[in-house]
Amino acid sequence: MSDVKVRIDGREVTAHEGMTILEAARLVDIEIPTLCHSPDLIPSGNCRVCVVEIEGARTLAGACHTPAADGMVIQTRSPKVLTSRRATVELLMAGHTGECVTDVHTDQCDLRKLADHLEGGAPRFLMRKPRWYPIEEANPYVRRDMSKCILCRKCIGACQEIAKKNVYGIAYRGFASKVVVDFDDPLTTEVCRDCGICIDYCPTGALSKPAKRGGVQ
Amino acid sequence: MPEKRILLKNCGIIDPRDINAYVAHDGFKAWEKARHALTPDEVVAEIDTSGLRGRGGAGFPCGLKWKLARQEAADEKFLICNADEGEVGAFKDRHLLQHDPFSLIEGIAIAAYAIGAQKAYIYLRAEYHYLSAGLKNAIDQTRQKGCLEELNITIQEGAGAYICGEESALMDSIEGKRGEARFRPPFPPSQGLWGKPTIINNVETLANIPPIILNGSQWFREIGTAQSKGTKLFSVSGDVAKPGVYELALGSPLKELVVDLAGAQDIKMVQVGGATGGIIPASMITTPLAYETVLGSGAVTVFDASREVLDFVYRTMEFLAEESCGKCTPCREGTEAMMEIIGRLTTGDGKQEDIQAIEDLSQTMMLSSLCGLGQAASIPVLDTLKYFRNDYENRIRQSVFLRSLRGQL
Repeated sequence: MSDVKVRIDGREVTAHEGMTILEAARLVDIEIPTLCHSPDLIPSGNCRVCVVEIEGARTLAGACHTPAADGMVIQTRSPKVLTSRRATVELLMAGHTGECVTDVHTDQCDLRKLADHLEGGAPRFLMRKPRWYPIEEANPYVRRDMSKCILCRKCIGACQEIAKKNVYGIAYRGFASKVVVDFDDPLTTEVCRDCGICIDYCPTGALSKPAKRGGVQ
Repeated sequence: MPEKRILLKNCGIIDPRDINAYVAHDGFKAWEKARHALTPDEVVAEIDTSGLRGRGGAGFPCGLKWKLARQEAADEKFLICNADEGEVGAFKDRHLLQHDPFSLIEGIAIAAYAIGAQKAYIYLRAEYHYLSAGLKNAIDQTRQKGCLEELNITIQEGAGAYICGEESALMDSIEGKRGEARFRPPFPPSQGLWGKPTIINNVETLANIPPIILNGSQWFREIGTAQSKGTKLFSVSGDVAKPGVYELALGSPLKELVVDLAGAQDIKMVQVGGATGGIIPASMITTPLAYETVLGSGAVTVFDASREVLDFVYRTMEFLAEESCGKCTPCREGTEAMMEIIGRLTTGDGKQEDIQAIEDLSQTMMLSSLCGLGQAASIPVLDTLKYFRNDYENRIRQSVFLRSLRGQL
């Protein structure tokens, strides 16, 4: 495997061929925030938080899925990138209805942490109606609160690629998109057993372990 | 006669159900020339020098695309004809499919020969189901004639999603998946349908191939402007006396199309390129139609003075929010947030900060979205903001006044 040389934030980085920009940046400890990316899963590139500026490109590129090519000059914190990243996180926060929105100290939600880190400030964007779905507790192993979901699809990836189960899928379009089971059916024990791998990958707590009756989780 | 009929030369003249009528009008001569006088590399070179650019909207150089796919070493290559004409106000491909299907089949046969594809798909939008039988008939007759010996053409019907006109979502749809944009790279010429090198061309692009091969690239280069060669089909609709499909040489002024040919009067603005197309105000009506200025897919919608700018922008955004596939954040949430802001402006509840918010949001959607839908969704908003800023500011002033009446300042 040959090496490729890229310049990230002014630093010369030697990466292997086939490495993504994100992996190359992590080699030299340049942190690019991500939400939908996990090193264990095939990148989906849907959250657009990891965007970086590549010199000569018309648009910003997702760092988690764009392979580093020889001679690329990459900016991970240019004004363009930061403005776009901040607006993307603001948009996600606008449609997100978890406890983290009001309770700053929960420290559970990756999206909230990222929003704090980027110092977006007061929300400029609103949604006509926020996502609101009833909490699903049909399954004794997974509690689903889809109002918190930011559609990063890591649960789908984990279920498909690691557990090899294909329980989840995406339904509906646009803002109404939702991670569903079959034809938007409840997640019953018929379709899902107790592996719970999706819970580990959920960044916002939309999927969680159900609280045990009378006990502390 | 300002119209220059190259693609439309057979439309309405020959019987689209009979291959003999097409053959009598120089049909399949280009195919024979390509097959017997030229090597695949020469065909690709001919298209490359002709300067033909994609007619679907993005305007990518056709020859370059073919060259990339030709270079790829793979056991299987695919050719897809994009007949998912979902763009709002576009009906030029329908006209070709309906009145001259053999030109398209000939173009497909030449393109497949050039890149070395053994299988071709015609991705027909669901609403064009009624054209499927005619197209099937054309394919069968061409096969009987012996012009499709090494190529298998399948008609694949869509399921009614706007996003499936976008090349990567289109491939997902053919693969049987949910139609969603893929990230690029890898680009389709290297890894497309089922991970194989794939060429996706618009109906009109492929219909341009036979005349170019037959008459030579130099003939084609003489038509049009420096960066836009050849003719283009325009589908004109909206507030015009004579809506329909017109063919003009690229670089012709917009005025010639909408006023002289289609008979528009009292124009306020013209949208060129469909739902995500650019807006040309009446004062710039002489703008030439070319890739350098404004073109898109060739859908031209005329708005007269009776139309309200913000209502139009709201309706467009409503459409785009509905048709967003929901994969990437800037498009999924951005179109929704944009609708919220413009919706408030139209109902008289706008705020001073709204214009700044629209501009910031547009910038993000343009830079970060995965595919053309999200990237271009804000073009009508930004263009109207540029040319009709007064309309926006008036709405905000009215909103402030309305709130003051309610005592909510």
